[in-house]
Amino acid sequence: MATKKNKAAERAERAAALLREQKQRERRRNLITGGVVAAVLAGLVVVGILISRSGDVEAPTASDYGVAIGDPEADHQVVVYEDFLCPACGAFEEETNEEFEQLADDGQVYVEYRPFELLSSFGDYSARSVSAFGVVLEQSGPEVAKEFHDLLFEEQPEEGDEPYPDADWLVEKAVEAGAEEDAVRPGIEEGVTEFAEQATDEARDANVNSTPTVLLDGETFNGSVDELLDQVQE
Amino acid sequence: MREWLGLLARLIVGGVWIVAGALKVTDPNTSIQAVKAYDLLPTSVVEPVGYLLPALELVVGLALVLGVMTRGAAAISALLFVAFIIGIASAWARGLEIDCGCFGGGGADPDAASKYPWEIARDVGLLALSGYLVWLRSSRLSLDAMLFRRTPDYDTEGA
Repeated sequence: MATKKNKAAERAERAAALLREQKQRERRRNLITGGVVAAVLAGLVVVGILISRSGDVEAPTASDYGVAIGDPEADHQVVVYEDFLCPACGAFEEETNEEFEQLADDGQVYVEYRPFELLSSFGDYSARSVSAFGVVLEQSGPEVAKEFHDLLFEEQPEEGDEPYPDADWLVEKAVEAGAEEDAVRPGIEEGVTEFAEQATDEARDANVNSTPTVLLDGETFNGSVDELLDQVQE
Repeated sequence: MREWLGLLARLIVGGVWIVAGALKVTDPNTSIQAVKAYDLLPTSVVEPVGYLLPALELVVGLALVLGVMTRGAAAISALLFVAFIIGIASAWARGLEIDCGCFGGGGADPDAASKYPWEIARDVGLLALSGYLVWLRSSRLSLDAMLFRRTPDYDTEGA
């Protein structure tokens, strides 16, 4: 009896040892698998970030669809993509327009404004205003177009508040900015022009899909307006 | 039964993350603007977070749906929801009217205040499901079960 018991105990011991060994092997294997899986998942996050980065704004250095102030060789170059209807653009203009004029006069910055149609979901004003800007730019030159741009933001209609200002109003603002009425009226009355479509295509190609999108020396600028003005003056 | 509930929780939370991440991952500028709108992080951190979040959301979502590293993914998911709840609550408390940027978008939103309670409730629900998955350990139809084998603890003393 005693030996039988001993044998049973031995068997149990051997079985337990085998199981322990197996569990140890399993632990090791699970640890390695876990490491590999974690590395793969981390790799996927990196891939995701790279995909995101490929959506970065890459704006052309010069555009036929904008208007600029200052010396192109100034210390800092700013590009502003904006929509005449976007409230945040209105706020941005209010906070920076005069400051940029001053800084451009002082030779510290070159600012290029590139309006395009972003807010097509809020009616046609966005497209019509960019079109009118194009007409003024073509007929009356960049200085009048810049003034027209400033006026459109100063008297910006509220987003979604239809009916929006009509063609007569846009003509009136263009004349106020210094355009000849006869020169701009036919173009503005056309409504939406090829200029607006091409300006919008160019902005889209540059991955611009929110406004205002501000680039400082070629890089998207995400800080506050104060930080922007500070950096421009550095 | 619990293990099937775990699968359901994985699909719901993971599905939400995949949608949220996918809508944002191709549009980093909007994502960065959304992070910036909360006005909680220093400027230098806003940009990396704007790039990281969509990618992380997407991968956490995939991991949950497939059931790979489920508990780890659920823990990250829970942490993210805690962060989002704090973010939205703090925007609300400070009177900011911003789109939460949860599924793309972001920035100013005049109707935001009326959406905050529902957004917080949704995130609390998803946080609870994530916590459940951390606690549950294993669920049905998961890759974890295939990748990581475990011999159950037999009583080796034979009694």
